[in-house]
Amino acid sequence: MLELLPPLNDKNLPWLDVIHPIVVHFVIAMALITVVFDFIGVISGKKNLFEVSFWNLIVATVAIFVAIIFGQVEAGLANPYGASRDILNIHSTIGWSLAGVLALLTGWRYVARQKDPANLPRGFLALDVVLAGLVITQVYLGDKLVWVYGLHTVPVVEAIRQGVVS
Amino acid sequence: MIHFAAIASPINDIADSLGANNLPYAIPLHPNLVHLTIGLFAIAIAFDVAGAFYPLEKRVFRYLALPVTRSGFHDVGWYNLVACSGISFFTVAAGFYEMLLAVPLPGIRSILGQTAIDTMLWHAIGGVAILLVIVAMTIWRGYQRFVWRKDLGRQVSWLYLLCGIGMLLLMGLHGSLGAWLASDFGVHITADQLLAAGADLQEALP
Repeated sequence: MLELLPPLNDKNLPWLDVIHPIVVHFVIAMALITVVFDFIGVISGKKNLFEVSFWNLIVATVAIFVAIIFGQVEAGLANPYGASRDILNIHSTIGWSLAGVLALLTGWRYVARQKDPANLPRGFLALDVVLAGLVITQVYLGDKLVWVYGLHTVPVVEAIRQGVVS
Repeated sequence: MIHFAAIASPINDIADSLGANNLPYAIPLHPNLVHLTIGLFAIAIAFDVAGAFYPLEKRVFRYLALPVTRSGFHDVGWYNLVACSGISFFTVAAGFYEMLLAVPLPGIRSILGQTAIDTMLWHAIGGVAILLVIVAMTIWRGYQRFVWRKDLGRQVSWLYLLCGIGMLLLMGLHGSLGAWLASDFGVHITADQLLAAGADLQEALP
């Protein structure tokens, strides 16, 4: 059965480049801009910004599930070593949790919008801060996996295959 | 032909204050700002497309009992693009700073056959060009929203949407050059730079 799987390249991937870091553009950018537009909307009183952040929140929520699918596949092929094992574990745990948090936030936001699209419950702003904090933590951990530990980069994959790193 | 000794890189003068990744900090800024530039631009264009095809979609949204307005879609297209324009100046600035400190691994070619310096120069010039187009499209988008198409349901012209989709394809290629600078050329990646220096990763990166 294993020979039916596509061969892995010099980045230990069945495709050209890592896909997870591309998909997360749409989680990171949309989640953070939701928070920014919510706050600007409350401060400036521009009600149509709540509609903009609502749609951005929807995109972030859809995108995170795609990000998790590619993240799981690429994590499975990442061969983490040393402390990057722990970082990858925490990154995976926060990633799955973030999917739940985003889904709940979107659910609440949907209900609030059905009642009155021009009003944002003030409690939502507190959750916005939590969301931004979780996203930034998650980005930092993912950054460490790539920029410090070099997972899925050619030199590290080569070193792992030669048995120099494990 | 006479060969002269190469002049040492000016980065060597400050090497003591840089980490193994050739930066004064552990995580490069540019790749993180890029998330915002690409995400905001792509979703801005996507929602303007959704606004343009609104007459076709509205039955679907009615079936889903999800209240949707066409102007709401175009609001996303506008505000996300404005945010993208503002942030992208920082994306390009951080990119240039980090490129000045880049030490790509020697003797490597990308999948397009480009050397590290070719890839870096194309990525630099492309980055400035894309920033200019983003800003120009924001001004264009603003005129459509507030002047030319103020009274029309579809807030953007088909040409604008076409330009946006073309830009997304270009950004995909441009982003790939940037990704290869990391994944193939090892720029600013601590583990890659340590391996190139002959360090033992088990000791250097426990």
